[in-house]
Amino acid sequence: MARTRTWISSALAASLLLTACGGNLGSGSDDEAADFPDGKAITVYVGQDPGGSTDLIARALAEEVKNELDVAVTVENKPGANGALAAQELAGKTADGHTLMIYNGSLAYITPLAVPEGEAPDIADYDIVTGISQDDYVLVAAADSGLKTMDDLKGLGKAVKFGTTGVGTGSQLSQELLFAQAGIESTAVPFDGGSPTLTAVLGGQVDVGSIQLGEAVEQIEAGELTPIVTFASERVSYLPDTPTAVEAGYDAPVQQSRAVFAPKGTPTEVIDTLADAFGKAFGAESYQKFNEDNQLTPNEVDGEALRQQWTENLDSYRTVTEEHQIDLGGDQ
Amino acid sequence: MDLAPVIDGFGVVLEPVNLLYCLIGVVIGMLVGVLPGLGPAATIAILLPITFEIEAVSAVIMLAGIFYGAQYGGTITSVLLRLPGEASSVVTVFDGHALARQGRAGTALGIAAIGSFVGGTVSVIALSFLAPLVASFALDFGPPEYTALALLGILLVSTISSGSRLKALIAAGLGLLLAVVGRDAFTGTERFTFGSLDLADGLDFVPIAMGLFGLGEILHNLEQRHRAIHAPTEIHDVWPSRQDLKQSSGAIGRGSVLGFFLGILPGGGAVMASLAAYAVEKRRSQHPERFGQGAVEGVAAPETANNAAATSSFIPLLTLGIPANATMAVIFGALLIQGIRPGPQLVEQNPELFWGVVNSMYIGNVLLLIMSIPLVGLFVRILRVRPAVLAPITVLITLIGAYTVNNSVFDIILVIAFGALGYLMKKAGFDPGPLVLAFVLGALLEESLRRSLLLFDGDPTGFLTRPISGVLFLALVIVAFLPAIRSLLSAREKEPVG
Repeated sequence: MARTRTWISSALAASLLLTACGGNLGSGSDDEAADFPDGKAITVYVGQDPGGSTDLIARALAEEVKNELDVAVTVENKPGANGALAAQELAGKTADGHTLMIYNGSLAYITPLAVPEGEAPDIADYDIVTGISQDDYVLVAAADSGLKTMDDLKGLGKAVKFGTTGVGTGSQLSQELLFAQAGIESTAVPFDGGSPTLTAVLGGQVDVGSIQLGEAVEQIEAGELTPIVTFASERVSYLPDTPTAVEAGYDAPVQQSRAVFAPKGTPTEVIDTLADAFGKAFGAESYQKFNEDNQLTPNEVDGEALRQQWTENLDSYRTVTEEHQIDLGGDQ
Repeated sequence: MDLAPVIDGFGVVLEPVNLLYCLIGVVIGMLVGVLPGLGPAATIAILLPITFEIEAVSAVIMLAGIFYGAQYGGTITSVLLRLPGEASSVVTVFDGHALARQGRAGTALGIAAIGSFVGGTVSVIALSFLAPLVASFALDFGPPEYTALALLGILLVSTISSGSRLKALIAAGLGLLLAVVGRDAFTGTERFTFGSLDLADGLDFVPIAMGLFGLGEILHNLEQRHRAIHAPTEIHDVWPSRQDLKQSSGAIGRGSVLGFFLGILPGGGAVMASLAAYAVEKRRSQHPERFGQGAVEGVAAPETANNAAATSSFIPLLTLGIPANATMAVIFGALLIQGIRPGPQLVEQNPELFWGVVNSMYIGNVLLLIMSIPLVGLFVRILRVRPAVLAPITVLITLIGAYTVNNSVFDIILVIAFGALGYLMKKAGFDPGPLVLAFVLGALLEESLRRSLLLFDGDPTGFLTRPISGVLFLALVIVAFLPAIRSLLSAREKEPVG
């Protein structure tokens, strides 16, 4: 109750101030941009549940940026529709740099291929502060299945059943691309996230599955899972003996990628200040160790470069899925 | 069996924080057990958002404590006031209150506490051995097996529920319908979302449980007439005599075993176990006419069985990720909030959680045994708190809590909507339990069924040719015909008993 009252009185004070300023509003906001963050807290939306990779990344970064800018940086989970819900919320916020979001690449360049047109948010409607990192997908089979290479899969003698972590995910896209190009007859079996997919592969319910590296690395090291190919663009340092799909002759580079988004129209100075703070956060030793522990590859490019990466991804995936008549949505 | 994780589990429980949460859990459990109307499912649902801020292990230890603690608490009012605090203590009223009228309330409470302790402890020991066993072949549980289990659970909960079978079926049907809302997990097509992103991932379980169990029950309770309560606060002779113990030892033994097995069954649980244990004792007794007149076994059997069942119902949840009853469904929600998906991998990947929770039940049972006897008077006094004071506070906590889980205003609206639905259901004599369970299992059923058919290339006979799913489907057929078998049995039973 006390808090509500304070809030009302400060709102009143603010509106009085605004009235007093009159026509000077324009210059006032410029000053604000220069003073950013001016002691005011920053909220970072995460469109996924607490505990997932995106959430962990957000929290690791928030810790560093908080020290850098000397303001509170809170992570707020708004899970739903692979982050579309949080993205929608972000778009409606004031473009002052105080509300940001950790945006998933899959929402930008895979979801649009799986849902009806206009349903997925368009990255053109946001400003981008910086890229963060990439997460690689790896195609795995249970060790006791004896499947080790693409040739083993070709010689299976029946349609390959592959587990995906869900519809419209990199897991699905990577395998659809791979098997279509390899001419392997296959059926997608979607599961709800990485852990159930892993269980299904281990239990032999499906022949193979494409899982984010960080989620499978433990079982790979324990010898329970055999990595067949990765969907990375270059050999993954954590799996030096596993070829990439591209090396195996298939044009199927698919990665999860993450970036810091802001509402469209955020002043350039604010974006710069934020990018600078995130840049310093990327350099922190504890953050670099975090990346290593979670098998994340840094992708700390600036906003424009990131926009280009993701737009190119969407275009090339659209072309290649059309070429092979892959329909991520109604694919059964 | 590798004992290291089990011992580590004790280390987890004995951390002061966890001991504290265990104590908080069992005390809250006893309290809600005493208060008629507010059950463990409602309490756990209301407290769900609070667990968000607590470590996963501590949170589940506390919620589990509420569940089995309520089984102890429910006894007190059954015996003293002829007012069962919990559905699972309804049968205790018959002999428990009869004993109280004979001035032997202390004996009834003492026997109930001892029975509860033995039942709970036997069940935890069995759980410690059985759960890792189930989990070890849980990798063989693929989509077809989950299809069968989900179907079995929904069928059991609607056929064995205590009230009207038709109403339970209707409620379960409604739960299944609500489960289809949201983006189709296989095609991405929107279903009943009305273009709203809030509904794209389907209805969230937590606000539904909070609304139906929490808000719905509070509203319904407000309507009840509350008579002034005159309870004896002095209880004598809680230690049962040697003869009482001798009379009830068989009942406690059988109650433990029966309760354990009925608790594991999907759709089973404490209520069913207490009813069954009472019936078994009455049938076995050489003097069945003593039942209802103050037979000690009549208190010992149901009170032992309901605690054993409350404990064992954690097995399907923690090993297969399938909640056996409504309360387990809410605890399932609590684990999901913590980012933990209960399932075959839990024992292996999260041993400190699994064994921490299991081992906390030993401690919790000891705490309950110690508390339940000297504190009886105190708990009875709580009944005097006016609902007019309690209800608004609870409603406020529920609504604030609902918001904090996903920081979503939409969730508050959902809680209110489902609170209204829960109230109307109660008023019309519908139990919201089958709805909630069918909602949770419905999503599992649909996804597993469709996954299975993808794996079988569309051939449904695949369900019958896999050994585990084949057996489960056989069980399904038996359950489907269970009502017919039961009525046949009870027709035969009526002749000798009269």
